[in-house]
Amino acid sequence: MKQLVIHDPTLRDGQHAVRHQLGLTAIRRYAEAADAARIPVVEVGHGNGLGASSLQVGLAAASDDDMLSTVREALLHSRMGAFMLPGWGTSEDLRRAIGHGVDVFRIGVHATEASLAERHLGFLRDAGAEAHCVLMMSHMASAGELAEQAARAVGYGAQAVGIMDSAGHFLPADVTARIGAIVGAVDAVPVIFHGHNNLGMAVANSVAAADAGALIIDGCARGFGAGAGNTQLEVLVPVLERSGYATGIDLYGLLDAADLAERELMPAPPVTASMSIVSGLAGVFSGFKHRVVELSAAAGVDPRDVFFELGRRQTIAGQEDLIVDVVSELSSRKTGG
Amino acid sequence: MSPTAGLRSARPEVAEPVTVAVIGTGAIGRDLVSKIDRSPALECRLVAGRNPESAGLRYAESLGYPTTAGGIEAVLAAPRPFDVVFDATSAASHRVHWPLLEPLGTLVIDLTPSKVGQMVAPTVTGVSPATGRNVNLISCGGQAAVPVVHALAARFPVSYFEVVSTVASTVAGRATRMNLDEYVATTGHAVTTFSGVTAVKAILNISPAVPPATFRTAVRARTVGADPVVVRAVVDQVAEQVRSFAPGYEVVSCTAVDDLVTITLRVTAHSDVLPPYAGNLDIINSAAVMVAEQYATRPDRMSRTGVAS
Repeated sequence: MKQLVIHDPTLRDGQHAVRHQLGLTAIRRYAEAADAARIPVVEVGHGNGLGASSLQVGLAAASDDDMLSTVREALLHSRMGAFMLPGWGTSEDLRRAIGHGVDVFRIGVHATEASLAERHLGFLRDAGAEAHCVLMMSHMASAGELAEQAARAVGYGAQAVGIMDSAGHFLPADVTARIGAIVGAVDAVPVIFHGHNNLGMAVANSVAAADAGALIIDGCARGFGAGAGNTQLEVLVPVLERSGYATGIDLYGLLDAADLAERELMPAPPVTASMSIVSGLAGVFSGFKHRVVELSAAAGVDPRDVFFELGRRQTIAGQEDLIVDVVSELSSRKTGG
Repeated sequence: MSPTAGLRSARPEVAEPVTVAVIGTGAIGRDLVSKIDRSPALECRLVAGRNPESAGLRYAESLGYPTTAGGIEAVLAAPRPFDVVFDATSAASHRVHWPLLEPLGTLVIDLTPSKVGQMVAPTVTGVSPATGRNVNLISCGGQAAVPVVHALAARFPVSYFEVVSTVASTVAGRATRMNLDEYVATTGHAVTTFSGVTAVKAILNISPAVPPATFRTAVRARTVGADPVVVRAVVDQVAEQVRSFAPGYEVVSCTAVDDLVTITLRVTAHSDVLPPYAGNLDIINSAAVMVAEQYATRPDRMSRTGVAS
């Protein structure tokens, strides 16, 4: 059986669903459960990564330092992961995180901007930390371009590289083409896939990614994540096992962790709500959902129109300030003002 | 309100132009050369890059200026020091360049987020630094945000500032990409310096959108008792002043709800060589060129030139 490495960003990407408000007690309890289930990597932090707590994307309930030290204590077997976006976090944040015992770092960049990761990948390699690079909003780039960007990231020192379907826009054939192209371009390092479930495709897309040669697959307990959520981890793992891949994860422990996550991390498990479908179709980052819905309601415009307009403008993660512009334009168009 | 209001109209008339060199031939260097070309007070004597094939060197040649691929060494080897050297390279390079340039008595205008020199934001600090021969232009986001941050902090009890800028991918060169850490640190440092507020966060997004996104900066301030009408008046006045040197500076939106003031600024480039969306480069270069123009009228420049010649 081919061995896959499962990364679990429940305590990082899941933060988007609760506006980065996970408390330390809940974080500790989930990390212990994930560790007991032998999930290889448990990622923790603000949803947008180290140093990202802000009004622009949401202030976190707990500091990076506290989240990292809490999870470090809870993990006896699993490795600890952290995420960072250049321009949001800095090398100083990475340095502190290394001090907290982070084992695996992921530097996230927009799909066409691998060069933004050059310095931080170099910094991590110099510091002796494991450094991955993930290309976000990957539906906005062709398979060929993603392969080229992935190869550049490896040139900068990435020890794994891959894509996030940040808007949940992909169908399995899209994933097959993109992962296939990346695997062909970077045969020296493992390839990562991180799915979102806006169109109900996350598990299927993840299997397609594994079939196309991805060796690192992400999933979150109960699909905890922005919008319709991420790939549901406790579904993903047994489906991968049935498809002939080994994950090393204990099924009962995994199901227990998922039950705990539902009880202690989230007000309700994510569903593929109407707005998530629109976000996926429009190709807009799922994390925009709360802000779009709120601002649209206040201005009396249809949030679906706002999502499609944001998609037309090719808005990327981090550009939350553009939502205000779009809502106000649609509002004035509507009133003829 | 500002001692420097009406800056553009005060463009100096000088008998002897200031001699300048530009190091760096990326988008910033190229636009600088075009702005220097338009300035009657500045005379470009050398454009220095590293790559003989660079489009920036070709452009400077096309305007008839001396060029070199010899970098800083060529600038240092000039028979007579330049009055002004613009450093449009990277923060790391600037830290190497400054100790080499300092003994020459040259005014060094640093376009990188190196945090080495004295920070200038024209409408807040004026363009004539009181001390030092190293002037730092902070960052594009700093140039856009500092005037607003300074004005808000002077009128309202601000407890936190956040500055989020977005620049188009096509005008974020390699130095910008390698300097994101310095950008974040220097912009945050400038916001604190010019507002007195220590709780500060700076963020930079690089947008790959097609057509490219026009440079914008969102300023958020946590404060209490900010009347939206007053905030708008303050911000409009600031924008009017900034437009004296960066005509494409505009307020896109301005709200004050509960304890949060949010202002979105956009800068369109008015440049011979930059696309309109590259307001990030235009605002910082316009400020830098003003500093050099102002220097042309300084008495100490005349005496220094006398010594050096």
